[in-house]
Amino acid sequence: MSEAALAAGIAPDRVLLPESVEEVQAVVLEAGEAGTRLLPAGRGTWLGAGGWGVDPGRGDPDGEGQPGGGGEPGSDGRQGGGTDSPRIAGTERLDAVHHYEPADLTLTAGAGIGLDHLARVLEPNGQWLPFDGPACDTGTLGAAVASGVSGPLSSRYGATRDNVLGLEVVTGDGRILRIGGRVVKNVAGYDLVRLFTGSRGSLGVITRVSVRLFPRPESDVTLLFGGDAAGAVAAARRVCTHEVPVAAVEVIEGDEGGVGRAAAVAVRLLGGVDEVDESRARIVAAAGAEPSAALEGGESRAFHGRRIGWEAGAAVVARLAALPDRLAETLECARAVAALAGGATSADALQGVVRVKGSCPGGDLAALAEGLLRGRREMAAAGGTLTLSQAPAEVAARVGWTGGGGEEGGLTSRIKALFDPDSTLAPSCP
Amino acid sequence: MSAATDTLALALKEQEEGLLNCVHCGFCLPACPTYRRLGDEADSPRGRLHLMRAVVEGRLSADSDAFQLHISRCLGCRACEPVCPSGVAYGQLLELARQVGGEARRPPLLNRLLLRVFGTGWIARPAMFAARMLRATGLPALAARLLSGDSTPKGARLGVAMLAASGSPGALPAAADPEHPGSDPAPGGDHPAGNGTPSDSTPPAPPTAALASPTPPTTVGLLTGCVQAGLFSRVNEATARVLEANGYEVVPVPGQGCCGALHAHAGDLEAARAMARRNVEAFEAAGVDLLAMNASGCGAAMAEYGTLLAHDDRMAERAAALAARVRDVSELLAARGPLPGAEVPMEVTWDAPCHLLHAQGVASPPTTVLAAVPGLRMLPLAGAQECCGGAGIYGLTHPRLGGWIGADKVRSVLDSGAAALVTGNPGCMMQIGAGLRLRGSSVPVLHLVEVLDESYRRAGRYQPEVP
Amino acid sequence: MIPKALAVSLTGICGSDGVIADRDRLLVYESDALTAYRHRPGAVVLPRTTDEVRRAVQAITRHGLPIVPRGAGTGLSGGAVPLGGAVVIGTARMNRILSIDAANRRAVLQPGVINAELSAAAAPHGLYYAPDPSSQTACTIGGNVAENSGGPHCLKYGVTSRYVTGLTVVLADGSVVRLGGQGREAPGYDLVGLFVGSEGCFGIATEVEVGLLPVPEGVRTLLGIFDRIEDAGRAVSDIVSAGLLPAAMEIIDGPTIRAVEDSVFAAGYPTDAEAALVIEFDGLEAGLDAEAARAAEFCRRAGAREVRSAKDEEERLALWKGRKKAFGAMGRIAPDLLVQDATVPRTTLPAILKGISEIGKRYGLVVANVFHAGDGNLHPNILFDRRDEAELERVERASKEIMQICVDSGGTITGEHGVGLDKKHHMPLIYGQAELDTMWGIRRVFDPGDVLNPGKVLPEETDPAARAGWGDGAVGEDLAAAPAPAPA
Repeated sequence: MSEAALAAGIAPDRVLLPESVEEVQAVVLEAGEAGTRLLPAGRGTWLGAGGWGVDPGRGDPDGEGQPGGGGEPGSDGRQGGGTDSPRIAGTERLDAVHHYEPADLTLTAGAGIGLDHLARVLEPNGQWLPFDGPACDTGTLGAAVASGVSGPLSSRYGATRDNVLGLEVVTGDGRILRIGGRVVKNVAGYDLVRLFTGSRGSLGVITRVSVRLFPRPESDVTLLFGGDAAGAVAAARRVCTHEVPVAAVEVIEGDEGGVGRAAAVAVRLLGGVDEVDESRARIVAAAGAEPSAALEGGESRAFHGRRIGWEAGAAVVARLAALPDRLAETLECARAVAALAGGATSADALQGVVRVKGSCPGGDLAALAEGLLRGRREMAAAGGTLTLSQAPAEVAARVGWTGGGGEEGGLTSRIKALFDPDSTLAPSCP
Repeated sequence: MSAATDTLALALKEQEEGLLNCVHCGFCLPACPTYRRLGDEADSPRGRLHLMRAVVEGRLSADSDAFQLHISRCLGCRACEPVCPSGVAYGQLLELARQVGGEARRPPLLNRLLLRVFGTGWIARPAMFAARMLRATGLPALAARLLSGDSTPKGARLGVAMLAASGSPGALPAAADPEHPGSDPAPGGDHPAGNGTPSDSTPPAPPTAALASPTPPTTVGLLTGCVQAGLFSRVNEATARVLEANGYEVVPVPGQGCCGALHAHAGDLEAARAMARRNVEAFEAAGVDLLAMNASGCGAAMAEYGTLLAHDDRMAERAAALAARVRDVSELLAARGPLPGAEVPMEVTWDAPCHLLHAQGVASPPTTVLAAVPGLRMLPLAGAQECCGGAGIYGLTHPRLGGWIGADKVRSVLDSGAAALVTGNPGCMMQIGAGLRLRGSSVPVLHLVEVLDESYRRAGRYQPEVP
Repeated sequence: MIPKALAVSLTGICGSDGVIADRDRLLVYESDALTAYRHRPGAVVLPRTTDEVRRAVQAITRHGLPIVPRGAGTGLSGGAVPLGGAVVIGTARMNRILSIDAANRRAVLQPGVINAELSAAAAPHGLYYAPDPSSQTACTIGGNVAENSGGPHCLKYGVTSRYVTGLTVVLADGSVVRLGGQGREAPGYDLVGLFVGSEGCFGIATEVEVGLLPVPEGVRTLLGIFDRIEDAGRAVSDIVSAGLLPAAMEIIDGPTIRAVEDSVFAAGYPTDAEAALVIEFDGLEAGLDAEAARAAEFCRRAGAREVRSAKDEEERLALWKGRKKAFGAMGRIAPDLLVQDATVPRTTLPAILKGISEIGKRYGLVVANVFHAGDGNLHPNILFDRRDEAELERVERASKEIMQICVDSGGTITGEHGVGLDKKHHMPLIYGQAELDTMWGIRRVFDPGDVLNPGKVLPEETDPAARAGWGDGAVGEDLAAAPAPAPA
């Protein structure tokens, strides 16, 4: 954990690994009393994705909890007191499965359970949790919920937030809350579960999670169509609007497509054997060409596993999103960033999301920052967004993680103040 | 509480005891033309039932502006009835509510005058005669043309246009092959089994299969009505011809009069009952098997004579028995096939009269009848199930709202691209026809039987040939 | 009644036909579809645009009056009942679909659009709107957003919140904020998700952006007839655990079957059966038959005496008919009906159903169940006659017991109808004080002055001084004045 923190540019004051919700509560209260920031974490995968590691010595100019996610990283609404080095609360020891009734297709587990471990628990019953967002291979369940970032399967299975049924959290001011439940349909009270999903450790430490599970599909096939960049986007769009529903459509540029062409369109088909066979025939007919490759079963899963782990180790990761029919423009914008970052793009065509990663090999970080800001302006002009998931301190400081809040009329800061009045936890988002 | 209020209370209670009570689910709201336009719960069926219940519970005065306004604003189209999962008999409750409202506060003069015209033979006949004479001068048509362009017709303007619209639609398009005007182009496969084989030169053979009853009734009495008789005599004549052509014997029913529908809808239930008694006696005396209706408003009213006279010891049973024999002309024709006619090459669209579709639940027979006309192409009509705003005298008593609803109907008729609108009720024909004229459109409005009649004439089914 | 000055300013905003301030005319707004609660509003306004809503909110709050948003009034928890002389803002005139963006499978609409009409408008593009509450022919999207509505097909497709991607909202202070929009990747807290299901307490949604789905190519519908309702419950559990994912699984119990069959909406279910299970699969044609065959086999193994399958659309509608008409048909068994809406873990269904039937017997009440079995979302309907006061008391006790066994099994007090006025006193069954206090806090983030839909969702805070004024019937016509006492 300490290594993960250091890798993310955080020099933690201490790393705490509580073993129960009460211990989490104690850790939170202690940090509050000490006036020390406490960063919730799972296994530390996302520690570089909040901006708090950046420029830890800096004071706080705005006091509104505004940036971090939003404006300038490091200036997160926290005033003096104690050390500037944060503490880290890792939940990895909260990894028990509390309740799993396969016939209910629901599970309740500690937030620190690894998603890899969870997959092994579900496998014997032919079930899975179709979380395929970034780092959902090695990260923890709690972190997947806290990050709230969904992957390409979300149009088939719903986004992360659609599959979280209930949470136990310790708020920034040390209250233990049990919200939602473990039934699949529940409208009792306000939907705090959705508020915490994607709150990136800014409202509370998630200690326990109830999720909705799905039967693992009988057949899993990925068709890879190679082509030039423009052709790939057009083909991807055709599949997206085709009458045959598909589980995911990705456009992968460069070698990672594995088809020896400039770009590859990966179309994932999930379902019963007959259904997938039929979908495959019709998608191929619509594409007008045989796929360069067809991956089945374990091969298909492994391919998508690599997509999930795609961002690992990258120095900079950005996420560009606009409406799906603007995919070509979004991708173009992403390519410009990728060129500066010395990296590659990966597009989720169904959602209209393009990820960029780069290693910044001794590059010009100032130019990269300018490129990201330009990209953000272009995306905004098209009604879209550019957010950073990972960035060198210097870049993050210049660009900001999200580009600031929208027109939420102060709701965000009021919500932050309700759960974490002293800004003990991660900065609010955006 | 007045006697009328007691009656409403009784009817509400009867419906509740019969477990036909409104559960307040709101499924009727989107079906209601006034709610859709005004968005006020009180202008919805559920809201009006709520007001009725409040009057009965003593929480609201029948004389209140709220009750008067919202009960009178109802079109009475009864589109709410088929969508009601609890089966509330809304139409009946509305009539009672109007009676209660009418006793509490005298209806406006215009309403009373109009009802007086329809309900009183010695006034109606000369009035209709005068109207026909006026129509014959062509002045209303001219006036309607001059007044066109305003999509929300009001009052007198509408009246003039309605009168013009009641006129004969003129010649329908001729068949593509004028050399064989009498040929029967219907493909054999369309010919319903059991009917006599039509022939060009001989009168149609009597039908061999008819309504479900083992001894098929063959004599029918036609309700000639007040508006039909007055302004749509051509429709009555066509009705008789097409029924005869399909093997019914149309016998005269002397002594019949206005059905009383308009009076019942307006809450003048005593007047309606008097008319109902007279008609029960007249049709009984004629000894007909079935009653033929070519005005769905009248048909719906006569089909409910049993309910209307339920508390009349002398007449209740007789009224119910008679009501059970009421049929729309489209039902009678569909039951016999009907026999196909000759080609009328034309694109038409069908607008279902509310009192046919919603009040009587007659949905498919009109399309079956139109399918018997070769060359006729049916185009879909958006909102065909919605009221045209005519609703008896509604177009005249609520010109603004009725005009709004009517304008929407006219727009969808024009949007359908049809060369003619076909419907089954004189009120609808006049309302939509007036709307079309005021919009400067020449799309004619035809009664269902007029189309079939023309097709039969071309097929030479009438011997001797009808001029 | 509202002050004359307010009536004048509202008229200036919404026009004279857009303001109802006459006391008698307001009578019809005293209830939604749950008629046990009756409170007459101070006025009703019917705006057409976001700006009219904004100005109306400002005008009303200036006079210190609370506001209750209302869609079509089809809610079953009393959520649209105006307490404390509130002014109702009705969305009936905000019924325009602003755009259908087929390329991105989304639509932007005003809140008064009727759920089923959105699907009808999307149909020419081969698209539809997935959440299908049973009232979908009448209920509005705005109401669906407020209640986070479900429906039979939510088993496979999820509830309203999965499909709402953006909102324009007027807050209690009259400010207009945009939440989310242009798809679902907006950074920051999921304020759209938080707003959906807030039951009119957070703001008034004046524009809604939703996702649409392609209309499934094929559908297979089965009807299993069972002699014991527990067996039907077991069939549901078996089908789910076998990895089949039907679009819908609905159970209609014996008393409901008999009510439907007695009505003019008879669906042809055998009247001596104790449960009918409707199962539907949809998707690509290929494979549907095999899935349906497997589900049919599970039904037979669980003890179904008969399994029917629909051969065409007409037969499909016939199989569904008993389910769809059930609510109205209840009105034919008894004059009054208490609808409950608990969700339980699917595997506990057989035990819960048995428990409910025992509670019914013990209190001598008919409990008719018709529910979304695949989701474990129960709708036990207690039938009664409110004129019988002794029976009414038994109804209340039975109702509470049923709720308790559902909660004890790991369930919740409402799966789709919302808490509203009816279930707010049940909230402590599932939430502790810390959670309830937090919900109060979130509510005040949006509405610090307690202007929007006061008296709903959350039980009054422990400090009565903080909550004075908005109790049940604190102002306005109380239940006591109405002929029907509240079954809450």
